[in-house]
Amino acid sequence: MIETLIKIFLFGAVVGGIWGLVASGFSLIFGVSRILNFAHGAAFVSSAFLAYALVNEGYSLYFAVLAGLMLAAVIGVVVYALTKPVREREVMVIIVTLAFALLVQQILLILFGDRGVSVEPFVKGVAEIGGVKVTHMRLLSFVLAIICLTALEVFITKTNLGKKVMATSQDSRAAMMVGIDIEKMFLLVMVLSSLLAGFAGILYAQIFAVNSEVSLRALIYAFAIVILGGLGSLRGSIAASFIVGYILVITITLLGARWSEFVMLLTIVAILVVKPTGLFGVEE
Amino acid sequence: MRWVKGAALIVATVIPFILPEAYLYILGLAYIFALMVISWDLMVGYTGQVNLGHTTFVGLGAYIAALLQTPLRTGIALHPAISIVTGGAAASAVGLVIGIITLRLRGYYFALVTAILPLVFMQTVFIWRELFGGEEGFTIENTLFTTTLEKYCFSLVVLVASLFVMKKIVDSRIGLRFMAVRDSEELAESLGINTTRYKVLAFVLSSFFAGIAGAMVVNYRFTVSPELYGVPLMLLIILSAVLGGLGTLYGPLIGAIVIYLAKNWWLGDIIRALSLPINDEIVLYAILIAVGILMPEGLYHELKGRWVKSISSGEK
Repeated sequence: MIETLIKIFLFGAVVGGIWGLVASGFSLIFGVSRILNFAHGAAFVSSAFLAYALVNEGYSLYFAVLAGLMLAAVIGVVVYALTKPVREREVMVIIVTLAFALLVQQILLILFGDRGVSVEPFVKGVAEIGGVKVTHMRLLSFVLAIICLTALEVFITKTNLGKKVMATSQDSRAAMMVGIDIEKMFLLVMVLSSLLAGFAGILYAQIFAVNSEVSLRALIYAFAIVILGGLGSLRGSIAASFIVGYILVITITLLGARWSEFVMLLTIVAILVVKPTGLFGVEE
Repeated sequence: MRWVKGAALIVATVIPFILPEAYLYILGLAYIFALMVISWDLMVGYTGQVNLGHTTFVGLGAYIAALLQTPLRTGIALHPAISIVTGGAAASAVGLVIGIITLRLRGYYFALVTAILPLVFMQTVFIWRELFGGEEGFTIENTLFTTTLEKYCFSLVVLVASLFVMKKIVDSRIGLRFMAVRDSEELAESLGINTTRYKVLAFVLSSFFAGIAGAMVVNYRFTVSPELYGVPLMLLIILSAVLGGLGTLYGPLIGAIVIYLAKNWWLGDIIRALSLPINDEIVLYAILIAVGILMPEGLYHELKGRWVKSISSGEK
């Protein structure tokens, strides 16, 4: 019993950290440019697949990870370029990013098939905490996720560039009037968020396995997190990722993995019924 | 416009005598697909709310009709016509619940929630495998029609009847209110229109026809499978409607038939002939991105705009 609790506690933190990286970027993009980026999962899976392919070809792990992150950044630029002409039409933004996500999914399916692949972990070995065996990689991924999220928070609130991003998010027109190049901010946020998603994808592939389908599945968790945290709220989504991470791990432990989508939907519906602005959201 | 409609109907009734049976079979399915597309347009094109989960209702209608017609699985054997209508009713009931929860909120919540619905409902097929048959689906037992010609005529009749009803709705005062909600929700509200009620109404109607379409597919192919919930089908619906021009019903209708025939008839052959290392879905997604960016108004509005321009310049 106590072991199950420790297990849920540890794994929930790991899962929450990884989804936190995905959802914070998703939320940041929405907050700054009002784009619902359905292609966010594409960066997540593509970087993991590239890292896997390069490690298989005999390149060093760190080079492979770097290349994977580069690919994620490129995807960010592509999504920025695709959404730029249609940004005023929210219907088209959603359709174009969703079509791009499926395009990437099909390409991955042709290149790698539909089996799951894993990337060689950064560290090997198993630690024992309270009688529960945890791989070092899981612990490391949690630490790395926390470092990235803290760095993001510091970047947004403390640095000059980050404050410009925040200003754009709060009121893009006013930001433009005080001389902020908002197009640059949109691009920066898109690349930064895609990098975070790409890194999350690599960490995920080092612990579990990714297949091309995950690019859409990842969206369910990202949506649940951003709705729970409040659309556009960065801190909200970070806190919500851990809540969702725990809900996910508890569901998988008690009911089985098949139920996770169901429980996510129920979570979203419950939030929308009780508190549509999310736990930390602000009225617009 | 009237003679175009008449000519199209005549062509549709004469074509079974000319076309080989295999192609007629595909054309009949294209009509059912067109029903999915125009019912999507009723919601998205007329009220401006982005529904990304239309296949949820297609799949629901399909599975419910299939179960009601298969005594081996459920012990129920309803007349196919009743089960088709029940499929539509069940889909609209789910639409009502989802609509009431999400459509009272403005902004992106509706799109977000409907986007994940098909992924969630697809899981039901795997969770209750004995009932729904898992990834292979199952075959239904008693069906309405058996020959291809009968099935073709049946889908044509249902499509024309549904189109007639939807056209009547969008041309009525209700349709005007849908469009008022789309063009400016604040303005519509200030005129005393209960915007939530009309959005939910449009969604329920749209889900009903989607459910009917799903149940029709089952009675056409005699099998049901989880791909009816699938996101690829969703994207195909969106592509057809966007290409045809949102909010016109006729545009999406033509878009649907062209896209469906292209996908199931020519596209695969062309790709194989050129021996390209891609599949037809990649081509369709690329087309969708291109159309979305280059002609966000859709082909219908684009051509109409050019036509109007050419007339006005000719008068000078």
